[in-house]
Amino acid sequence: MDLALTDEQRVRKQEFYDTCKELEKEKPASLLTMETVFELDDCWKYHLHCAKEFAKKGWLALGWPPEYDGKGDMMDKVLFAEARGYYDIPGVDIFGVQMLAPTLLQAASEEIKKEFLPPIARGEVMWCELWSEPNAGSDLASLSTTAIKKGDEYIINGQKTWNTAAHRADWGFGVFKTDPEGRKHHNMTFILLDMKTPGITVRPIPYLDGHTPYCEVYFDDVHVPAKNIVGQEHEGWAVVNLLAGFERSGINEIMTMFHGLEDLVKFCNKSKRHGQLLAKDPLIRNRLAELACELQAARALAYRVADLQNRNEMSLMDAAAGKIFFSELGERFAFLATDILGPYSQVKTSRWAPLGGLWEKMYHDHFVTSISMGTNEIQRNIIAWYGLGLPRMR
Amino acid sequence: MDLRFNETQEILKQMARDFLTTECPKTLVRKLEQSEEGYSPEVWKKMAELGWMGLVIPEEYGGMGYSFQDLVVLLEEIGRNILPGPLIATITSTFPILEAGTEEQKKELLPKIAQGELILTTALLESEAVFDASGINVKATPKGDDFVIDGTKLFVEMAHVADRIICVTRTKVGTSPEKGITLFIIDSKTPGISCEVMPTTAADKLCEVRFNNVAVPKKNIIGKMDEGWPIVEMMLRKGAAAKCAESLGAIENCVEMTVAYSKERVQYDRPIGAFQAIQHKIADMWTAMQTSRYLVYEAAWMESEGLPCAKETSMAKAYVNEVYNDIAKWAVRLHGGIATSDDHDIPLYYRRSRAADIAFGGTGFHREIVAQKIGLA
Repeated sequence: MDLALTDEQRVRKQEFYDTCKELEKEKPASLLTMETVFELDDCWKYHLHCAKEFAKKGWLALGWPPEYDGKGDMMDKVLFAEARGYYDIPGVDIFGVQMLAPTLLQAASEEIKKEFLPPIARGEVMWCELWSEPNAGSDLASLSTTAIKKGDEYIINGQKTWNTAAHRADWGFGVFKTDPEGRKHHNMTFILLDMKTPGITVRPIPYLDGHTPYCEVYFDDVHVPAKNIVGQEHEGWAVVNLLAGFERSGINEIMTMFHGLEDLVKFCNKSKRHGQLLAKDPLIRNRLAELACELQAARALAYRVADLQNRNEMSLMDAAAGKIFFSELGERFAFLATDILGPYSQVKTSRWAPLGGLWEKMYHDHFVTSISMGTNEIQRNIIAWYGLGLPRMR
Repeated sequence: MDLRFNETQEILKQMARDFLTTECPKTLVRKLEQSEEGYSPEVWKKMAELGWMGLVIPEEYGGMGYSFQDLVVLLEEIGRNILPGPLIATITSTFPILEAGTEEQKKELLPKIAQGELILTTALLESEAVFDASGINVKATPKGDDFVIDGTKLFVEMAHVADRIICVTRTKVGTSPEKGITLFIIDSKTPGISCEVMPTTAADKLCEVRFNNVAVPKKNIIGKMDEGWPIVEMMLRKGAAAKCAESLGAIENCVEMTVAYSKERVQYDRPIGAFQAIQHKIADMWTAMQTSRYLVYEAAWMESEGLPCAKETSMAKAYVNEVYNDIAKWAVRLHGGIATSDDHDIPLYYRRSRAADIAFGGTGFHREIVAQKIGLA
């Protein structure tokens, strides 16, 4: 067991932290959580700006092989995610950089890699994910949107939903039924498409706090070049599973919570109630300490997942456990913080809102991590079925 | 970064598992719970031959010279199997000698401890039963070349079989409770010492030790007079990490037994492990186990590297306390009625989860340390 970083890693970690700290100075006050990046124009503009800054340093291609202008290794990617998380800096496209790029590197043809990887590394093209459908959520393989091949094109018809940032994205990747008669899990293809293609209609969905980070996407005879596929035709399910395994440590989200706790501690150290500092309230001390312990535990497990992934070892169970734990910790944190803030916890960003209104926002946004990327119930199935060998649901 | 055990640790782990499976079956665990001594001198002797009491004692004093991390690997196996007896009490009581003892004390005691010739324990708690210095009121008063110790200690693990007792005493009523604490190493045969085993949940032989004007030579002070509290803090920190490791092994075993049982117990024509109500609870247990594991390993690694780790160790102890209690409870629940029978192995763990929680500081105690360390005013 050795948790130490090498000298080079320490130097790079410092550079990641310094750069993010510098970028934080320009961060719009309205950027409270990563969801606001997709909602608000000034936040999206800042996201693109950060992407350009990171691209200049080659940090959008961390861990890629040298032939695609990759830089650093997987550990650098973890340290970079840590720094971005701590300062809550956008600029790394979750879909393009974190999900699609490693998938392309492992499963795409040379031609597709050459076409799509460089714009991702340059921070030029932003992506969205087109997976869920109204009747295919956790049971994604029962999707029904079709992509029927005609000549050298696929023609897509149907509807996707819960597509984060689809109204902002330049390109989308999704899975579509290409063989309607085929067996489940062998009837869909992983397709890349330009979101400006005629026939695509994007409608933002009002989220429970009135913001709009998510969309539904309608396809009416959308023509996509047949070459734009990843993996084998009709075998998109394998690509979906491959993609789902990348960068699942949650270190980014966890470090955001570390910073959130630091700020909450500072708040308690200067705010009085009943004539005494909140920090002196034994119940608040106990509950914040409990949360700090859980946060440390979440980070310890995230390092475990990163350590396994860095060595290309199986991390399915630990990644599922980590995801369950840090996302539900996010829920507990939001509820604890709003409880401590009392009546002020319900105030949206304004002069009355403590800590910029972060916790009013988090009260809504914590659902993102527990529901997306495989709900926590699906993660529990993964641990039970694939990890512990308990009988699968019949 | 590499979170795997190294080769030495893998060997130590396997050796410990094999040894304990053979030498300390649950029949022996139950027998020892009922026995007066609470440990097996035969097994103790064999463990000494394996070098366990001297695992972290440097080679120059007859020990194995292993790291704290290695100790954690061993203790995980001990917790997994359950090993009644004074091993953890002896190892943790060795730390004050190792870190604050005089060369003379080290030369005299450490080789004997490593050989398994001396059983040690620490007398800390008193009637208030708190882990901070305010609870220390047993007085040590100078008298010629000796000190005279008078008062009663409680919850002293295995004191009834210990050869030496590290006694935490008050030598001065100072400005703060932490000032005026002095540690003595006392031969348990000294006249005036009497001992009575307290009946406890885990039958782990916690004792009341009465010191009735016990004369102890001045040279038996560990560290500096009146300045012993930092030594106690160090021992509590290392002890907490050690206890976490033991608990982690126990947690592992509870999870494994529950998974196995849920696969074999058939109700409604299927193994109960086929029901999601069971599966998701087990997944939660597994998740809690893994978070505990890497939290404990992180604290142990920091301790091994000599890094400041009071915060991380208290985080681990506070967290693992809750996890062990919860997992042991759910292990009983998921086994159903059968695990409420004293004949079943799960209750052995359930009862120990309470004892493990309390040892070296309960959840509230460690959370307060964490509260201070994260900067709460």
